[in-house]
Amino acid sequence: MAEIEVSHLTFSYDGNRNVLSDMSFRIGEGETVGLIGANGTGKSTLLKLLVGLLSGHQGSILADGLEVNKKSLETVRRKIGYVFQDSDSQLFLSTVYEDVAFGPRNYGYSKEEVEKRVMRALKQVHMEAYKDRQIYRLSGGQKKLVSIATILSMEPEILLFDEPSIALDPRNRRQLIHILKEMKGVKLIATHDLDLVLDTCQRTLLIAGGRIICDGNTRDILMDEKLLWDNGLELPLSLNDRSEYKKYKS
Amino acid sequence: MNKLQQAIAMLHEVDSEAGKSSARSRIHPAARLFVCVLFILLTVSFHKYNMMGLLGMGLYLLITGIWEELSFFKGLKRIRYILLLIALLGMANLFFDRNVILRLGSMNITGGMISMTTLFIKGMFTVYGAYFLLMETGIEGICAALGSFGIPKGGVTVVLLTYRYLILLLKEVQRLLQAYALRAPGQKGIHVRTWGSFVGLLLLRTMERGRDVYDSMLLRGYCGECFWQEAGNRQISMGLSGIYAAAWTLVLITLRVFPVFQIAGSLLG
Amino acid sequence: MHMADALIAPAVAGTMYLCSGAAAGYSVKKVRQLAEPEQIPVMGVMGAFVFASQMINFTIPGTGSSGHLCGGMLLSAILGPEAGFLTMIGVLLIQSLLFADGGVLALGANVWNMAFYGCFLGGGLIWKWLMKKGMSRKKIAAASIMGCVLTLQLGAFSVTLETFFSGITQLPFWVFLAAMQPIHLAIGLVEGVITAAVLVFIYEARPEMLWGCGMNDSGAGKMSRKKTAAVLALSALIIGGAVSLAASAHPDGLEWSMEKVAGTTELETTGKIYDRAAGVQEAVALLPDYQFRGKESAAGTSVSGILGAAVVTAVCILGCYTLKLFGKRKAADIKQEKGKKGHE
Repeated sequence: MAEIEVSHLTFSYDGNRNVLSDMSFRIGEGETVGLIGANGTGKSTLLKLLVGLLSGHQGSILADGLEVNKKSLETVRRKIGYVFQDSDSQLFLSTVYEDVAFGPRNYGYSKEEVEKRVMRALKQVHMEAYKDRQIYRLSGGQKKLVSIATILSMEPEILLFDEPSIALDPRNRRQLIHILKEMKGVKLIATHDLDLVLDTCQRTLLIAGGRIICDGNTRDILMDEKLLWDNGLELPLSLNDRSEYKKYKS
Repeated sequence: MNKLQQAIAMLHEVDSEAGKSSARSRIHPAARLFVCVLFILLTVSFHKYNMMGLLGMGLYLLITGIWEELSFFKGLKRIRYILLLIALLGMANLFFDRNVILRLGSMNITGGMISMTTLFIKGMFTVYGAYFLLMETGIEGICAALGSFGIPKGGVTVVLLTYRYLILLLKEVQRLLQAYALRAPGQKGIHVRTWGSFVGLLLLRTMERGRDVYDSMLLRGYCGECFWQEAGNRQISMGLSGIYAAAWTLVLITLRVFPVFQIAGSLLG
Repeated sequence: MHMADALIAPAVAGTMYLCSGAAAGYSVKKVRQLAEPEQIPVMGVMGAFVFASQMINFTIPGTGSSGHLCGGMLLSAILGPEAGFLTMIGVLLIQSLLFADGGVLALGANVWNMAFYGCFLGGGLIWKWLMKKGMSRKKIAAASIMGCVLTLQLGAFSVTLETFFSGITQLPFWVFLAAMQPIHLAIGLVEGVITAAVLVFIYEARPEMLWGCGMNDSGAGKMSRKKTAAVLALSALIIGGAVSLAASAHPDGLEWSMEKVAGTTELETTGKIYDRAAGVQEAVALLPDYQFRGKESAAGTSVSGILGAAVVTAVCILGCYTLKLFGKRKAADIKQEKGKKGHE
């Protein structure tokens, strides 16, 4: 049973201006949820709070029924994986294998188990062939896939993605979408790539000004042109030719 | 090619070469580090006139180079960095040490000439020694060796991370410089008015990245101690490593203590 | 200012390793005590930053030349002297390995000459002292310039001393010193101004990132400044003492005339084995110590020496290739056998 439950979450960096205010939502077993909003609306802050990288919030965050705080950090972080926006922050070792093995080794698994997990994770992102490759020789897209594998090798039940499709070319982006769809477990994807959300998430949270403006079916939200416009977003590109849009509206 | 491009090219070369040889090596990097340091130490300790004895130490480089299939030519490129320094100090010997110690036909060979030559040879040998070590083990190997010699893990981690982020930052600096040059044609370096902001902004970004790296390490179970490990896919034989270290120690000390070339020559002649 | 392996005698290199090692040990302890664990990745990334930023040429107005950044001072103004020092060791180690800037053996000396003074004197004393009563642009600039000039002067002086004690060059001490100090005064000034410009920028953008920001009223700062001064004085004593001890251990005693310096290192490193071997060596060496002795003519020995060299070298090369060939065959045989088994 993997789930996240956030209730009345309020957070501020400096004690004056609230970055997040009174946020409540619940993500249940097997759900893939898109977290959308314009730049600077608090998407990354929310993700960092969920894994305990930031602290000092009001309200409660429950991961699998466990309150996220200093005491529970180790357990929580085993359950939740967080994929950074900048892959270079996530990949700090020399080769692909070493980097993907970093997490499992830190958790004290045996050599055989580490190898099994690394290979399984690399297979999931279709990067087995690159296991001995030097990190800096990877392309941007490959780095992203490997940085996802570094998280998958720890086999978390909940996955958080911060702008996963940023700076990917169309083919890499499509592959990423494919991989995201294949993945099991709870997923929360923060992005302003609305087409990606349309392709991968059944449900979407729209945030603006640190509050949840809308929580519902992805298609309903992404086709509401006025709602998106009012909150600093625009219709997904794939709906721009309006044919599907009109079909939906009628 | 400017300094920056050279540095980037060097990093690429070292990584690809060292990756090749370290993967197939069964000798622990610590044994290699030990032998290399011993070699450099003994090489440097030769007397400034003892050229023949010094040349004997070259056997180590010769055997290592052939055995590990390392390029002598590529190593040669690296020597030019210290050549100037050695030339500067070595030249002085020509002027200050004019005792004639050898006559070859009508030519007087002075002590200064010989000590300058030995200095050059020492410079060459020590640079080659370090270069071969790097090529055999790579930076990761050297870090593993330092770790097994009891250097605190925090320190080793700093070296590894510096190495990992070096190429990223070199490329970032290159991009910054290119962007600068495009908007400031005709300038050779960075203008005095932009000194602070040019590097300062890069520094701020770098610090932020450092914090991000730390966060991502934390999320993957980092606890400050368990950072680097023996490379999992390497097959190191402790026995072989011991034999390697012992054998080379014996050979190097023999080369240092006995004039091997002369003994061989007098046995033959 | 990087010293090369060939220019340093083992005894001097060893002494410098001990000194730098002691400072590193102290720093590791201090960093463990003080710093949050997040220091370590920041140190690593900052090491790469210093390395990369030293590749940038800063045009010096009015001249055709350019200067670079002073790493030790900058690092300790941001990370503090101890963490800055450890970071610099990493930078110098990688420089010596990757780019042959300095050497493996000379690393101890290079760490001392460049990192120790920069971090502990520039950062630990001057920066801390000036920032005690709050920061300002002027103070940051003053500290950077003072720190860089002083650390480079001391570094250059140490290089001269280490070279002198190594006895590698016949260049008289005073000549070398007279060449080194003024050059490094100019370099120090330029580096100081560049470092000041960067630190002032950081002060205006993110003052909280500078080391010692907001610690003006803490008593602990005062204590550890005294401690730093004590460590500095103590290490100066140790280095002076150790080097002169190494020097006087030589049987020639204080006869430190230039020609005889090099002899020290030889006896130091090989000890008794050397004494016993010396007889053999002097009898047959092409160029035995100091000058030719023995009854054999110089020409005769050198011929046998060169013959020996040629034969030994040839045997080594041949041996290597034969063994390699043998090794490859064996590997190929194993592969074939495996292949056969696979077929069966």
